[in-house]
Amino acid sequence: MLATVHSASLYGLEGRVIRVEVDVAPGLPGFSIVGLADAALQEARERCRGAIRNSGFDFPPRRITVNLAPADLPKSGSGLDLGIALAILLGSEQVRAAGRWALVGELSLGGEVRRVPGLLPMVAALGRRGIRRVIVPAEGLEEARLVTDVEAIPAASIAEAIEAMRAPRSRPRRTIDPPARVELASPPMVGSADPGPRVPGHADPRREVPGREDPGRSDPGREHAAQDGPAVAPSGAAALTDGLAWPDLADVRGQAEARRALEIALAGGHGLLMIGPPGSGKTLLARTIPGLLPPLGDDEALEATIVDSVASDLAVAGLVRRRPFRAPHHTISYAGMVGGGPRLSPGEATRADHGVLFLDELPEFDRDVLEALRQPLEEGRVAISRAGRATVFPARFQLVAAMNPCPCGQAGVEGRVCRCRTGVAARYAARVSGPLRDRIDLWVMLPPVPPASLVQDDEPEDSATVAGRIVAARCLALERNRGRLNGRLSGRTLLAVAQLSTDARARLVALAELEELSGRGTERLLRVARTIADLDASGSVDEHHLAEAARFRSPARRLADRLAV
Amino acid sequence: MTVVGDATQHAELAERDAWAILATVHGLGPVGFAALLARFGSAAAALQVTGSPGGVAALADTRGPGGIDSIRRRAIGAELATVIADAAGRGSTIVQTIRALGLTPLTLEDRAYPRRLLSLEMPPHVLFVRGSVAALDPPSPVAIVGTRHPTEAGRRVSAEIAGAVSRAGGVVVSGLAIGIDGAAHASAVDQGAPTVAVLGSGHDRLYPRAHARLADRIVATGGAVVSELAPGYEATRGTFPRRNRVISGLADATVVVEAGRRSGALITADWALEQGRECFVVPGPLHAPASAGCLALLRSFPGQTRIVSGVAELLEDLGLVEEGQVDGRAGPSARARGLALDLGPVEQRLLDRLDRGPATVDELVASAAAAVATVLGALTLLEMRGLVSGAYGRYQAVEGPVGRSA
Repeated sequence: MLATVHSASLYGLEGRVIRVEVDVAPGLPGFSIVGLADAALQEARERCRGAIRNSGFDFPPRRITVNLAPADLPKSGSGLDLGIALAILLGSEQVRAAGRWALVGELSLGGEVRRVPGLLPMVAALGRRGIRRVIVPAEGLEEARLVTDVEAIPAASIAEAIEAMRAPRSRPRRTIDPPARVELASPPMVGSADPGPRVPGHADPRREVPGREDPGRSDPGREHAAQDGPAVAPSGAAALTDGLAWPDLADVRGQAEARRALEIALAGGHGLLMIGPPGSGKTLLARTIPGLLPPLGDDEALEATIVDSVASDLAVAGLVRRRPFRAPHHTISYAGMVGGGPRLSPGEATRADHGVLFLDELPEFDRDVLEALRQPLEEGRVAISRAGRATVFPARFQLVAAMNPCPCGQAGVEGRVCRCRTGVAARYAARVSGPLRDRIDLWVMLPPVPPASLVQDDEPEDSATVAGRIVAARCLALERNRGRLNGRLSGRTLLAVAQLSTDARARLVALAELEELSGRGTERLLRVARTIADLDASGSVDEHHLAEAARFRSPARRLADRLAV
Repeated sequence: MTVVGDATQHAELAERDAWAILATVHGLGPVGFAALLARFGSAAAALQVTGSPGGVAALADTRGPGGIDSIRRRAIGAELATVIADAAGRGSTIVQTIRALGLTPLTLEDRAYPRRLLSLEMPPHVLFVRGSVAALDPPSPVAIVGTRHPTEAGRRVSAEIAGAVSRAGGVVVSGLAIGIDGAAHASAVDQGAPTVAVLGSGHDRLYPRAHARLADRIVATGGAVVSELAPGYEATRGTFPRRNRVISGLADATVVVEAGRRSGALITADWALEQGRECFVVPGPLHAPASAGCLALLRSFPGQTRIVSGVAELLEDLGLVEEGQVDGRAGPSARARGLALDLGPVEQRLLDRLDRGPATVDELVASAAAAVATVLGALTLLEMRGLVSGAYGRYQAVEGPVGRSA
């Protein structure tokens, strides 16, 4: 007998509706799946066989043919398991069901239903097709319920799925917790830094990262531990290594210039590069970023949640409101950075969409990996084409990077001796290619932190205060630039919003001549000055804004002088 | 050696080429070279011998100079003789290569051979010169040398001295290395003055490669890039000490700006003292690794090395007078010049602080008692007025041009 149910498969970041047709026919016992199924799907045969038997049903000793339609679309992953198993049970008339059903989930041999990545876009795709009831893995319920108009019914096992299908229109059998409450924080200060899901049992939600910490990042405390003059307060160092919390800006001693650069970068969405010897606090500063970024807007949050649903190993516990902060290790592969692989999975560039991509030890990354970032930096997206399949991932991230001045880390630092061989330092710096340099608006050099500043009494500004200023400046810019941050402005638009006074115009020309700036360099200067003016709540860019912006210009010329002459 | 007729000129050219060919032979040092010349009369004759039957054996029989016959030693071994014969065979190719690189070979017998080198104990037999030959024999050449890992301050001192020497009509001689050497050459070139770079490699194996463009600029501004090593020689550990004796030998005085405990610049200083040239040392702080060698030098050779107490003082000691100089003492401080410029209060406070020594932004924020944003903006203004310079998160006051008042 023929049975049909709906399910879904993932293609890039999109869900695709799949019709699962099962024909249970007389003949020699056999089980075949047709319809461009990948290896994981071929193995669905074994999982379905085991799950059906171990759930107290018979695996029919007949000729079973599973067709996955549309037949020309390549299908991957294990999310079709549940649909196939139920269609077999329906086709062999072991169970009955009323109405039109869709099922998404992976099966264990024991018949339990497990979560699959990308549940959210898959359920959304089913909803768009007019399917109103979807059986989802119990652990993915909260994620599936983010899609309005679709009734998501949790099933922890085949038995529960069958029970739900027998009794149409019933309420879910299991009582479940309401989905994690998504709160917009009370304005404007502390909470605005992070209005992520409130997690019970933690006094300070600001310091709580939902279990999305990057697994690829190895030993972030290494650099600080090994150095003699760390800018790290003990609590900050601990926060780095436990992987659960981020340091507060109050934990960062000294480095006023770099702190200011970070503030400007985050307020304007500018690319930032920090250069300094090990232990000067580059990584620590970068790790404070999550606490400084404003929450995602509604549309952004939905997009981020979809990316999370597809890319994360863990179930999504409600709408993602925290801006992504991704810090991939420098050994990351090309596909890991921009996405791809056999299943067209999104890479770090996409996971950092709307957020910050932090590249520590920038020159240590593979050249190919860095070059691959050029497209997303220019267009805010990654286009991936593979034989027979292509997709586009969003990648509107802000680049923050850090590097040592040379492999030994001491070149150009007062009172230290560089132990690199001649020419090594210049080659090291040259690994960051021109096009990438062009996308970095702010450059800042961090001198080593003198021990005296580690024990100073006066407490530096904390993250909440700085985050407040950042939010205010971003609001000004977004309103004026029609939804774009200053970091994405150029050409006429930039000049129009800069509102240069006559004096400021003269100053800009003088600065450009002094530094022999190219057109691009002048634009960078103006972009940064615009953000500084926003932080100042000033409508026009004045002389002193430009003067400050000039401190963060690319030292390309000076760097070359220092390293090569 | 006046050029009279065509034949003489031709013979002279051939002889010069023969010297150049012999100079390409690895392992043929000044002693061997001298022995060959002594035995065969000229380099061309020596090369001709290799072509005749038994020539190689004859070459290998060359004895070095010595007092008593019994202790005479062979100056040229059988192996070396084979190499020389081989080079003689490739003679025309070698000459072509030298021409193609735009090099002028200068031999000991050339009148244009720098006279200061003639007084060395074993001067290089051939110098390969790119650029102006005249630049090798200027009125007052000064060698400026130092570490390849200088501090920012050292780099600045090197550039200052080179600039002042150039303005005063002197010629800066150095080794084209990264660091102090490069800063000295670059500063001279910026003044549009000739400067001489001595290589530790053949011209076609220019080391460091990063300075290829600097070398071009040196040639373009009327200076010279010179090497006693023939094209094809790679820079190795051993070639630099040899190069250093040419640097000090080409100059009347050698100035060591910054040198670590084992810096090659110390070798140059030793050569200068041995060659009876003056040696000046820029003293550094007691615990600065980049100045450890300088201090050691001052201690080891009291009375022979002289201290550099200021750029103007150095010029005075060198007997040079800078153009437009009225009275050669340290120029006005940035602070003094700032007073004349009607600066804002924050700018003035920053200058006051920087007058006491370099400072980081953190320190400046603390002493100016102003917001970071204000301090950063003020630094740009000071920098634009030439009162402050900064690199690597540290800023320092810029002293005024010597002898000019604000």
